[in-house]
Amino acid sequence: MGFLRFLGFTVVRAGQGFWRNKMMSLAATATVILMLVLLSGLVIVLGGLNSGLAYIESKVGVTARLVDGLAPEAVDQLVAEVSALPGVASVEFVSPEEAMRRLEQAYADRGQTLETGGSEISLYASIEVALTDPAAATSVSSALGERPEIERITTIQEQYDKLLGVTNVVRLAGLSAMILVGLTVVFMIVNTIRIAVFSRSREIEIMRLVGASDAFIRWPFIMEGMLCGLLGAVFTVLLVALVWGPIQPLLIEIFQMPTAVGAQFFTFVAVLILSVGLVVGMLGSWISVRAHLAAGV
Amino acid sequence: MTDARSVTKARTAGTSLVGDEPLIRLVDVTVTYPNGKDALINVDLEIRRGDFIFLVGPSGAGKSTLIRLLIREQVATTGRVYLAGRDLARVSRSQVHRLRRRIGVVFQDFRLLPNKTVRENVAFALEVTGAPLDEIRRRVPRLLALVGLEDQAQQLPAQLSGGEQQRAAIARALVHDPAILIADEPTGNLDPVTGWEIVQLLLEINALGTTLVVATHNQEIVTALRRRVVALEQGRMVRDEVGAAYRRG
Repeated sequence: MGFLRFLGFTVVRAGQGFWRNKMMSLAATATVILMLVLLSGLVIVLGGLNSGLAYIESKVGVTARLVDGLAPEAVDQLVAEVSALPGVASVEFVSPEEAMRRLEQAYADRGQTLETGGSEISLYASIEVALTDPAAATSVSSALGERPEIERITTIQEQYDKLLGVTNVVRLAGLSAMILVGLTVVFMIVNTIRIAVFSRSREIEIMRLVGASDAFIRWPFIMEGMLCGLLGAVFTVLLVALVWGPIQPLLIEIFQMPTAVGAQFFTFVAVLILSVGLVVGMLGSWISVRAHLAAGV
Repeated sequence: MTDARSVTKARTAGTSLVGDEPLIRLVDVTVTYPNGKDALINVDLEIRRGDFIFLVGPSGAGKSTLIRLLIREQVATTGRVYLAGRDLARVSRSQVHRLRRRIGVVFQDFRLLPNKTVRENVAFALEVTGAPLDEIRRRVPRLLALVGLEDQAQQLPAQLSGGEQQRAAIARALVHDPAILIADEPTGNLDPVTGWEIVQLLLEINALGTTLVVATHNQEIVTALRRRVVALEQGRMVRDEVGAAYRRG
């Protein structure tokens, strides 16, 4: 009961404080929203990039274009010999017809139809070599390169490295921006709570005189900062929920990769936003209370 | 006054003070401020339960510093201050609030919250210490009755006279049934007649068992009441006399 009374007192006082100091409180909440929108943008883009990376990683292997007119027996022998190479998980023969089917499917997946302009397209036959270990790509490539049935070898490694580079840049730039905006948010909350402390200095003095404990004096202010953080977080979650649908095809369009989609990732983003909002609000107000609410001797 | 008696009985039952032990004891207390100025010098003082003491002296004599020591807003540079046998310097910061619930304080400027009614001002002192709602509902009207403010309970401080504001401040100071009530210039902002009314109220509270320390410049009241007078000058205790009049030096 004692704790519930304390909680009730703290929440009510925090709400009153937020309302009395509404201009500063709303300004602090707005900076929280700015920070959390940036954070969610960063997390969503990084989620997309990481899922792209995971997709490529799962596809790491070697694709070898075969010379034209290779006999089925020669193909079978090639598949058998390549399967025996160290580091090879499986080998799949892709006929020109299968290659065409895949191309049409890829267009269909994007809602488009493959237009050839009347001319007939003939794709090449290939083998797709899946690896047990991405590090085996080099040795498998050089082994394949020596074989006369192979015309050209391509690996997905280059594409992977490129995307990894982009991901690292986004991560670094995003985190730097986050730190800067985060510091601004903490500064705003520190000031909001400082003003709240000054405007209630008479009350604080009386509370001390009549024997209020430090917790009763300090926690309403800390709760007020948390309220700024929580309101900003709730607003941001609503905003993200609104744009969640439309941004998915956009990410696929930009990165040409399957991206992190689905309710589970949204839940993760929402929980992250709410947690960060609360923690930043609490941190700012805690710093302010420590600095401006001088303790008695 | 029945209600007032029950308030005091409750306080007496709740206190753990030992019978003959002085309620307050200062032993060779010196307070030196960071600028090197001595606010109190080698002060020895004992206050027993039920005492009524006038603390007199010119401005800067050390009265406020003595009050700050008693409510543990300050600690002595040297010497010891005891409340009911407990060394205040050894009270940890986390326990100071418990100590302050045993000491009521009123000031010359009343220090009421202007946006709260009289009832809310008194209730606030209970709310901020986590008192249950039913206790607040029970105690606040009793305290307002004790100070004669039942009819003004719903008024804001600005709607009250100076004397009424001081009564509200006294009710708030008594909210935890303190063992001691410290009044710092309680009549300083009041006209003589109202000042006397406040002193009468303080005497009634003292008669119910609460120890009173009243810091004042009001010569007329000190001289008329002939109570114990402790005089400070330039940080030194120059007089501690029972039944004394107000005089300088």
